[in-house]
Amino acid sequence: MADSHRLQTAAVLLPVFGAMLFVPPLLGVFNVPATIIGIPVVAIYLFSVWIGLIALTFILSRRLGRDDDGTTSDEGKAEDRPR
Amino acid sequence: MISVNLVLIIAVAYVGLLFVLAYVSDKKASQSRSGFLRSPLVYTLSISVYCTSWTFYGAVGSAARTNFEFLAIYIGPTLIFIGWWFILRKLVRIAQRQRITSVADLLSSRFGKSGTLGVLVTLIAVVGTTPYIALQLKAITQSIQVITSASDPGGLSGFDSVSLGFGAAACMALFTILFGTRNVDAKEQHHGVVAAIAFEAVVKLVAFLAVGIFVVFGISGGPMAIYQGAAEAGIDIARSYDFGPRWVAILVLSAAAVLCLPRQFQITVVENSDERHLRTAAWAFPTYLLLMSLFTMPIAIYGLTVLPEGSNPDMFVLTLPLTSGNAGLALFAFIGGFSSATSMIILATIALSIMVSNHIVMPIALRSSESFGNSGTGGVTRLLLNSRRASIGFILFLGFLYFWLSGNSDALAAIGLISFAGVAQFLPAMIAALYWREATVHGAVTGTLIGFLVWAWTMFLPSFASTSPAIAQIISSGPWGIGLLRPQNLFGLSGFDPLVHSVFWSLFLNTAALIGVSLVTRQNALERIQAALFADVFKRRTREQPNFVPGSASASDLYFIAQRVLGGQRAYELFEAFAEESGVSRTQFEPTAETVVRLERELAGSIGAASAHVMLATVMTGRDVSLEEVMQIADETQQVIEYSQELEQTSAELRSTAEALKQANERLRALDSQKDEFLSQVSHEVRTPMTSIRSFSEILLTTDDLKPDERQRFTRTIHEESLRLTKLLDEILDLNALERGEKRWQNGPTLAEAVLDRAIDVCRPMAEQRGLRIYAGPRASEVTVNGDPDRLAQVFINLIANAIKYNVSPDPLVEITSSVGNGHYRVEVSDNGPGIAPADRQRIFEKFSRGGAVTGSIEGGSGLGLTISRQIIMRMDGTLELVAADKGARFAVTLPLWE
Repeated sequence: MADSHRLQTAAVLLPVFGAMLFVPPLLGVFNVPATIIGIPVVAIYLFSVWIGLIALTFILSRRLGRDDDGTTSDEGKAEDRPR
Repeated sequence: MISVNLVLIIAVAYVGLLFVLAYVSDKKASQSRSGFLRSPLVYTLSISVYCTSWTFYGAVGSAARTNFEFLAIYIGPTLIFIGWWFILRKLVRIAQRQRITSVADLLSSRFGKSGTLGVLVTLIAVVGTTPYIALQLKAITQSIQVITSASDPGGLSGFDSVSLGFGAAACMALFTILFGTRNVDAKEQHHGVVAAIAFEAVVKLVAFLAVGIFVVFGISGGPMAIYQGAAEAGIDIARSYDFGPRWVAILVLSAAAVLCLPRQFQITVVENSDERHLRTAAWAFPTYLLLMSLFTMPIAIYGLTVLPEGSNPDMFVLTLPLTSGNAGLALFAFIGGFSSATSMIILATIALSIMVSNHIVMPIALRSSESFGNSGTGGVTRLLLNSRRASIGFILFLGFLYFWLSGNSDALAAIGLISFAGVAQFLPAMIAALYWREATVHGAVTGTLIGFLVWAWTMFLPSFASTSPAIAQIISSGPWGIGLLRPQNLFGLSGFDPLVHSVFWSLFLNTAALIGVSLVTRQNALERIQAALFADVFKRRTREQPNFVPGSASASDLYFIAQRVLGGQRAYELFEAFAEESGVSRTQFEPTAETVVRLERELAGSIGAASAHVMLATVMTGRDVSLEEVMQIADETQQVIEYSQELEQTSAELRSTAEALKQANERLRALDSQKDEFLSQVSHEVRTPMTSIRSFSEILLTTDDLKPDERQRFTRTIHEESLRLTKLLDEILDLNALERGEKRWQNGPTLAEAVLDRAIDVCRPMAEQRGLRIYAGPRASEVTVNGDPDRLAQVFINLIANAIKYNVSPDPLVEITSSVGNGHYRVEVSDNGPGIAPADRQRIFEKFSRGGAVTGSIEGGSGLGLTISRQIIMRMDGTLELVAADKGARFAVTLPLWE
């Protein structure tokens, strides 16, 4: 239970954390006129963060999927109330 | 090599392929063999309708002009999808529960099924999407022009871009009408179209990757070589891009757009067939976006390097393969671009046509009751389909008009952002719908309207500046020369990019109005219900409140409506299901609250929440206050709950009362048994003298020859026994009176020592008779107590007599002392007899209890003396107690002094 709570917290905070990586103060650090193997640093940074976030989401969504199956379909429950 | 005819034939053939694909998929779906069509993969691919020709062509152009800016358009949606748990999941759950058909329906439904909001959102969506459709038309015409001009310069002489655009628009309208409006589905899901869109997503991805790989690894020597070549050609590849306000604004806009764009909402939320698909889309869609933008930079840079100055960077994807002589790849790229444009047009027009028909046409039709009343079975369905077909044509015509009016000046990306900013005006209301229960319909309408107006003024209008001198005039000096209202310097705000300026003002004023107005207005009952249903959709116990009172409409009325909207077959199936669930036959079925709720939801799936609500309201036998009644019922329920809480409290009180009663009862039982005991003791006490009186009197009566002295003795015995009996009865009466709290005397100043002396004098003969000494110990001086002399004497005599009677010591002695102290007068009577056994000390003052050690051989004791004495002393506010003594018994009387 506590574990799935942690996962949910992570799922909510991941985009917040991701957004911070994609906006100025942090982004500015990498926005320098330099290149690594001929490619601008900031391009490498942006794509790396992007790939990293996708990987984290992949892991998270699979974990959350395992925990959550019991609670997804309670459609039937709403219907069977007494008159 | 590539003739105009070939291109046109390919384009038409491609659309034909889509047609077949959609047709086959629809057939499969209707036969429930749609396993693959409803897989997470197809769902994710269909979401990729986000990548339009703007991505396909425009991103390269944007990268060539502004370097990294295009990335923001894909990172925004990435953030939304990796945050699927928070927003998308809730959105999808709500949409499935409430049978939401569009973004307009979502907002209208949440804000009390408001028709006004539905109309407003629909209008904004139409206006906001128009530039976007124009953008696709422009991409299609431009790409046709580019791909043919290289090899068939004269081929297009008969077509200018306007007629090409018109042709494309007409072609798309035809396809969309044929496939988007084949039926009115319960959940507005179009499996055939979704399959076609997913297919197009694959085509455009493969085409773009093919071009990218060809450019990077085919004609150039890898990514490093591209950057190297560019550096040699004098292009500053490491030139910095200012990741400033504009970057952030585009991030926000694109994040908003992936939620609010009608077509994205349609594909992500409405066409979602299983909530779990989001799990896959959460990472798969960002991956798709990543792949789509991976080669954008290299293509742009290589294009800038090798293509002549002044070539349109928007068309690098086509021109690079063309100039390197790879016509086949160019044609494939053209098909990719065509795919991305058509998928967007098809889905956007379907989404918009649903909104227009459900939120504009239906309410009007419902208002004019004629068209509703006279149309036959399925009449509403026909009306819906026709209005959708008309609106598809209308929307595409609007797009074409914008394309025609705005001219060729704008780069593709600029037009796309106008659209994004337009639909982003739904975002504040949407977030409020999901998370803020207190948001009111007035707040939502005001906020959205203000946001829309500001957007129209600061962004939409200026996009016509290049074709209209009048508008250019307004931009430079404001309307009627009012500088504060200049569209790109609103309220004098300057120094910002026009996009940032517009996004800031529109979203800021929108949100401020939404919050402000919501805080000062009140929700009506329906809004409160809907707000709770939306905000608490994940709480398991959330129940659907019936909006109508059951029993106010007959089954046939409801069936009539269902038939109109859903068609005969579906209505029949639905009511069969209802009847089966309630366990009665179809004919006996009576609508219950929940069947009405479900019917309303089914209807909402076809005609939108607001229209469904209005429609049901018309047949709920004119009980237009039904909702108020529902709220009243809710209030009553609340009262019942409160009442039952009160009852609980009362029953707790009752329990404690019952407990007290039980204790009292036990006491009563004890008293009752005491009474029985007392009675039996009294009878026993009375019986003894009575027996002797009877036997002696019998002797006197039956025996004639008694000697006179015997006769004398017997008579005296009878007399004595009678006296004893009288005394006993007197004492019982006396005690009875005392115990009832009566006292037959008046307390007054009494000289206690004199009373004590009198008592001693009375007892002295009795003591002398037994050879007992009365030893008068230290005595108090004369004191006055509050009491009655005779009664006090009775007590003293009783105590002294007891001490004399029960003293069996060989040298019997009774000692009497008195003292005054502490405001009290104290008399102690002690003897040197056997004393009182510890076990009897408690009982000694009870009725008929004589000192246990001494059996009844000693004359006279009724067993009531001490009891009466104690009662008398108590009535004088004093105490009579047995005090501890070394030997024998010692009784102490304490009385308060007279003041």
